[in-house]
Amino acid sequence: MKKYLLMLWLVLCGSIGLAFAQNRQVTGVVKGSDGETLPGVTVVLKGTTVGASTGVDGGFTLSVPADSKSAVLRFSFIGYVSQEVAVGDKTTFAVTLTSDTQSLDDVVVIGYQAVQRRDVTGAVSSVNAQQIKDIPVNSAAEALQGRLAGVQLNASDGQPGNQGFQVRVRGGNSITQDNTPLYVVDGIQVENALGVIAPQDIASVDVLKDASATAIYGARGANGVVIITTKGGKEGRTVVAYSGFAGFRTISKTLPVLGPEDYVNYQYERASQIGASAGGLTTFQNYFGTSAYTSQRLDSARFAPFIDWQNQVFGRKAFQQTHNVSISGGSKGTTYSLSLTKNDEDGIQLGSNYNRYLANFRIDNKVSDRFRFGFNTRFNNQETLGAGTGAAVGTATNGQAVATGSNTTSRLRNTIQYVPLAVPASSRSTALDPNAFDADFYANSSLVNPVLAINDEYRSDKRRTLNLAANAALNITKDLIFRSTAGVDITDLNTSTFNGRNSPTIRQVSGGYNNLPFATITTATQTSINNSNVLDYTFKHEKHSLNVLLGEETYQQKTTQQYIQTNYLPIDISAERALANINQGVLPAGVTSQPVLPNTSIPNNYTLLSFFGRANYSFDDKYLFTLTAREDGSSKFLGYANQHNFFPAASAAWRISKENFMQDVKAISDLKLRLSYGQAGNNRIADFLYNQLFQAGSAVYYLNHQQVLGSAATGLSNPNLRWEVTTSRDLGVDMGLFNNRVQVTADVYYNTTSDLLVNRPVPAFLGYTSQLQNIGRTSNRGLEFQVSGTVIQTPDFTWSATANASLNRGRIEDLGPNLNEFYLSSGWAGTASTIPTDYVVRVGQPVGLMYGFVSDGFYTTNDFESYDAANKIWKLKAGVANDLSVTGLTALAPGVVKLKDLNGDGTVDVNSDRTVIGNANPKFTGGINQQFTYKSFDASLFFNFVYGNDLYNANKIEFTSGVYPLTNMLGLESNRYRSYDNTGALVTDKAALDALNATATVAAPSRQYFLQSSNIEKGSFLRLNNITVGYSLSKALIQRAKLNQLRFYVTLNNLATLTGYSGYDPEVNTRRQTPLTPGVDYAAYPRSRAFLFGVNLSL
Amino acid sequence: MFASSSKSALYGRLAASALVVAGAASLLASCKNYLDVEATALNTTEATFATAAGATAALVGTYNMLAGDAGYGNRISQYYPYDSDELIGSTGPIDGGRRSIARYKAFSTNTEITNPWNRLYQGVERANICIANLPTAPLYNTGAAADTATLHRLYGEALALRAQFYLELVRNWGDVPAQFVPTVTGQDVNLPNADRNATLKRLIDDLAIAEKLVPWRSAAGVSNERFTKGAIKALRARIAMQRGGYALHDLTMTRPADYLDYYRIARQECLDIMNHRSEHTLNTSYLETFKSINELRTEAANELMMTVGMGGSSSVSDSKLGYYDGPRLSASPSYGTSSGAITIAPPYFYAFDSTDVRRDVTITLYGISSANAYTGVTLANGTDGKFRREWRVPLLPGTSNYLGYSWPLIRFADVELLFAEAENELNGPTADAQKALLEVRARGFGGNATRAAAGLTLSSKDAFFKALVNERYLEFGAEGIRKYDLLRWNLFASKLAEVKAKIAQIQGGSVPYGTAQVMVPVPATIYVKAVTGGLQFQRSFYKTAPATTPTGSTSVNWAASINAAYVANTQPSGTSYLGSPSTGTGLAAEYVEKAGKELLPIPQSTIDVDPALKQNSGY
Repeated sequence: MKKYLLMLWLVLCGSIGLAFAQNRQVTGVVKGSDGETLPGVTVVLKGTTVGASTGVDGGFTLSVPADSKSAVLRFSFIGYVSQEVAVGDKTTFAVTLTSDTQSLDDVVVIGYQAVQRRDVTGAVSSVNAQQIKDIPVNSAAEALQGRLAGVQLNASDGQPGNQGFQVRVRGGNSITQDNTPLYVVDGIQVENALGVIAPQDIASVDVLKDASATAIYGARGANGVVIITTKGGKEGRTVVAYSGFAGFRTISKTLPVLGPEDYVNYQYERASQIGASAGGLTTFQNYFGTSAYTSQRLDSARFAPFIDWQNQVFGRKAFQQTHNVSISGGSKGTTYSLSLTKNDEDGIQLGSNYNRYLANFRIDNKVSDRFRFGFNTRFNNQETLGAGTGAAVGTATNGQAVATGSNTTSRLRNTIQYVPLAVPASSRSTALDPNAFDADFYANSSLVNPVLAINDEYRSDKRRTLNLAANAALNITKDLIFRSTAGVDITDLNTSTFNGRNSPTIRQVSGGYNNLPFATITTATQTSINNSNVLDYTFKHEKHSLNVLLGEETYQQKTTQQYIQTNYLPIDISAERALANINQGVLPAGVTSQPVLPNTSIPNNYTLLSFFGRANYSFDDKYLFTLTAREDGSSKFLGYANQHNFFPAASAAWRISKENFMQDVKAISDLKLRLSYGQAGNNRIADFLYNQLFQAGSAVYYLNHQQVLGSAATGLSNPNLRWEVTTSRDLGVDMGLFNNRVQVTADVYYNTTSDLLVNRPVPAFLGYTSQLQNIGRTSNRGLEFQVSGTVIQTPDFTWSATANASLNRGRIEDLGPNLNEFYLSSGWAGTASTIPTDYVVRVGQPVGLMYGFVSDGFYTTNDFESYDAANKIWKLKAGVANDLSVTGLTALAPGVVKLKDLNGDGTVDVNSDRTVIGNANPKFTGGINQQFTYKSFDASLFFNFVYGNDLYNANKIEFTSGVYPLTNMLGLESNRYRSYDNTGALVTDKAALDALNATATVAAPSRQYFLQSSNIEKGSFLRLNNITVGYSLSKALIQRAKLNQLRFYVTLNNLATLTGYSGYDPEVNTRRQTPLTPGVDYAAYPRSRAFLFGVNLSL
Repeated sequence: MFASSSKSALYGRLAASALVVAGAASLLASCKNYLDVEATALNTTEATFATAAGATAALVGTYNMLAGDAGYGNRISQYYPYDSDELIGSTGPIDGGRRSIARYKAFSTNTEITNPWNRLYQGVERANICIANLPTAPLYNTGAAADTATLHRLYGEALALRAQFYLELVRNWGDVPAQFVPTVTGQDVNLPNADRNATLKRLIDDLAIAEKLVPWRSAAGVSNERFTKGAIKALRARIAMQRGGYALHDLTMTRPADYLDYYRIARQECLDIMNHRSEHTLNTSYLETFKSINELRTEAANELMMTVGMGGSSSVSDSKLGYYDGPRLSASPSYGTSSGAITIAPPYFYAFDSTDVRRDVTITLYGISSANAYTGVTLANGTDGKFRREWRVPLLPGTSNYLGYSWPLIRFADVELLFAEAENELNGPTADAQKALLEVRARGFGGNATRAAAGLTLSSKDAFFKALVNERYLEFGAEGIRKYDLLRWNLFASKLAEVKAKIAQIQGGSVPYGTAQVMVPVPATIYVKAVTGGLQFQRSFYKTAPATTPTGSTSVNWAASINAAYVANTQPSGTSYLGSPSTGTGLAAEYVEKAGKELLPIPQSTIDVDPALKQNSGY
């Protein structure tokens, strides 16, 4: 580069020298649209070799022929849209280049090396810092949402922090294994990278999507590779920058619930229906003080002030602030960048908070023309506070915390279903004080005042991650480079929980906690070591260009974990005191030992050894070929043949625009056709599954009431386990129109995965219910489009837009011999006998089919012959199906939920009357991002959308079923079918019932959880995800303060969502323990809307 | 400039060479074993069975499968044996769960059926692993004598455990797939239904081996939560009686022609046990036998020959005995909470003689309120009583579901009555048979042999059998035995019909009572008075109630609680009985003879993945 600059300078000098008399000097300054001066911009007099490059201050001087008023200056710079300016009579120029959202001149990192985007033969989606700079969020995943064609990022819910994002590249190939892509940060594999990197530190993100691109990463690349490059420094200029924002979040939607009057009336109906049995009128009377429908006491409850607990729990304005300071720069041969980030974010839920300190340091040193090395370190220290809203937490295969509990451990239910009123004690009423813990109320409803519960359920999740990475490159000869990278990634996790006196957990009847507090501490250390060594050879001769890469890589990961739990802590102890000294448990009478003893485990312990090579050949920039091969070895399999697998890939690209016959098509500035084929492997299964292993202490038995530890096989081992192989085929086109002002990328792909690592159900008489096997095939086919362009460009106003859309169709092709389908349970409903399973996996269908009953409204009086008053029984008409075994009620009556009798045998039952009622897969997804600048103002507008998926609204099932006495329900139940009139009398006369329920739209609440089609809702949405408006102060003004840039902006996140979905938010997926149960909305943390103010400042 | 650049180039070359050499060296060194990772947190099969302690732990892991909710902690012991003519499982219409089992209209997706099935087979597999690995372990034949003896004993116990699991599978599901070796990858996983007679025969043969390997209780040095020689013999007798009894094949109850061979085995095994009275004998107190369980201690006579040890307050190692069943405790501050989910079939109360002490152990007629007060319950709400939360020592107030009560698998009384039954079948009502029956019965009458023998006809084989059927009815209430007795006798349908008819009689005001089955009036109400530690009944259960409430007592509905609806509800939902429509909530409401419901359906999840497996007839 330096050489060229020198030549340029010589040419420049020469031209000055030669044309001294007839030339004139023009000068100018080039800035970016953010007002920052741009050094290194190439300025060329169009049609000549006369040119210059801008200096550190963005200034340039150029000699142009004096008479060439028609001459045109062309300004070009990587990452910006080139601009042409007529010289005319002007001698000074102020040029503003707009950044190019998707320039073909971008550099793309495709695995162990960087290439020009124009030379890429595989399918790659990219995002650069410019595109995400306006998104003041704390999570890198959130910043990337909706911006990458073919890449789906789904937040499981709205919890603050950065856990629980699900990333899928082209739909995810494996049906039961983890489909998380591989993350490579500055050449080093980093676990859960989006969680440990500040969005502010990202220079670019490249997502490799097809196997020809990912093949070089072999095994770990089967689900796509996300390559993140962090910001480095630039030589010769020290930049100190600050960016920060602060603001608040509020809940974006609340669910309507029944008010006091309807609540009381409904409880009366429920109790009367049950009568003298448990949970009936006695319970009602005990709680409300009377069971007389028309009584002053009940009226005082009916007309008590309405307490919507969502306001108490999620109603706050949650403050958040983020500060990022960076200093970057460099002197000759050395560049560095240091970035420090602090996040502090309150969740909208009481007691929830996320804070993080992050330091990122990168130094690159060019020792000589032949040797360079770099070092990168990142330290992330974060803590997430708050037990959240979800069901109890477990761990998914990828190590992420996921909800594995059920309705008994959900916390959202307290907020929605707790008694919505307070009656102060007075002469005329008994007190209904919702603010005190009420053991009797809990025993009936299993609900606790949500505020009390939150205050008594402490959870802190601390993570400290240290990434250390070094890289070195040596030019052995001019054309042969040896590069080596080595990285260590150490994460310390520390999760502590405490459940105090009002925690529903300790009061669970089956819990064995004796109503006393307990505390747990989990610590884990995850260490991974990654080393790769490559030889990179480049050969160029005339129109031939060849690049060959050969390499070797090792990767190992080990996680060790310790767990301690103490039960029976003193009743009034605080979380801090309990966790500080966990040895304070006092065994109650009759209890001989702590139920859970300290334990240690090694959840992860595996190694990978790989050899790979890639050859790129291009002829005349027109025909491009890439061949890749990788051999991966994994410790998760047994024996050489199973351990190792060879993954080949090939791709070709044809730059049609370079052909002669295209030269006349002026509109098309670049046109490239890509074709690729390749294989990649997946081994993301638990370790050691190839051998029958015994876990000591895993099975206990009691001899004479003393615990004896036993040992049991962990599962059905499979010595034949081997790699799962994904074959992908991709046909793509990249097109630049109107001098690359508009760029279009389109891809069509067809991926198949064979030898799927499936936890296949096996007949239970084998002693196991499933075994991990290599069976079956899946396929994903899809289309991806990305269009970006500059819509309007005037000196004062620019408008650029990027849009992407993708559609993916997954299909299970085969599940192995003797298996065409199997059923599984998302598990939210615990042991509800009417939801033994709620998903089906079926050959010929996609993953994510929801399985349940078909709703048929409710029974009306027309369904019954007559009412038998003596025995209080409605007599069903012949031919009308009976669904009593599903609804949990004791008798059929008008208003009871009606389900379709699919097999026509006269009874609706769980065995034979369920069918597929929903599909979690969207028809298409995408995003539209628009950026505007007008003089010193800038703005961006970002929408994302999902269309055509179904959601399984399990919240609605729980909150419209009267399973427990005294629980409140969703507001839609005010339109329920009623059997009691406004005096509290049971109505049994057909005409009177019809009149009473003329406007009823929903069935009377059932008393069992079951999945029916009315709980499956459309999940399509269009979200106005982000609006940002910024203003940069003029350079002239801020230069006095020695500032280079000063910009203020306001941002509104998640401003509006257009959706028909009735739950909190359509972007939800809470049952993620396996990828086979997507789209369940259960006890998710409600999403919030953010209002933020920020500033960018640089010196 | 030139010098410095060449110098740095030199450094560069050196550094690069170092890197290459280091890289290559590490590669060569690690290439071979880099992919060999040892699972340090887990043990291999060889390591597990290489030591006596390891092998014992593997067997303990097998015992674990007996306990817990899906084992004898709740489902198998408290859901499956009911409804029968003695007790009623949680009342209510079929719900796809436990009530579907109790009402005899279960579905194959029922998780209460799937989970125990899975757990029993998991137990079989763990036992199979022990059975396959113990005899081949080095210590089995060589090494210290103590270790060898331990492994021999473990092998016998593993055989016994497998037999116990399979017995439970066979008697609940019929012709279930049977595998006697550990599962390995590559084997045929699509096993067909195995002939249950062959399976039981195999178990009986296994136990003949096992009983030789396992010492008697006194030499075993443990309490009765592990199989000892006596328990294995008793189990062998029980399996033999199962093999020799009736069972449902397709839709009819049939008995194999060779059944007497098995009665002989049972008789001999029982006799062996009865000849070792120092190891196991009848406890003189019927009450003490069960109180010892509730008080978390052993009883001196070792009548409880094998109990499933429970503890740990967890769904996988403890039991809900005394929480799920027993008298209903409503958040009593002293005693805690219990569900009282198992209620009595009302005629069961009247089957006992009023002086039979077993009645008030087996049946409870009270609840305990949130004020710790004993309250009367209606006849319809009487509960079983062998496991009671308020009996626990130490008391466990609160709501914990798990009381640590062990489940009695085999009692000495069962051995004696099995002997009497087999003897009668083989040799008629001999003196030995009579002695065995009368010994158990006399204990039931508090040792009063005269009263026990009164009105009893034991002279003919048929009469003896009839008396024996009744004796087992009175002796084993709430122990998960009655239903399976009735099935192997092929008396299930007739006894259910009989008890339903008696329920109707109670509604009519009278019921057959005691051994003689004489009709007595059932009072519409009874009168109770709380006294310290219990309830006092102020008037007779066998006479018409007085018109006025005795002073100081409260009235409780008695026969009045057995109303027309109660009677109708013992019939299938939607039908009418004696003019009342049924909602199918009562005793065995949906049971119909010859519909195949004597067996449970094989879980759908297993049928789905095994094309060779046939669902039981009727499902």
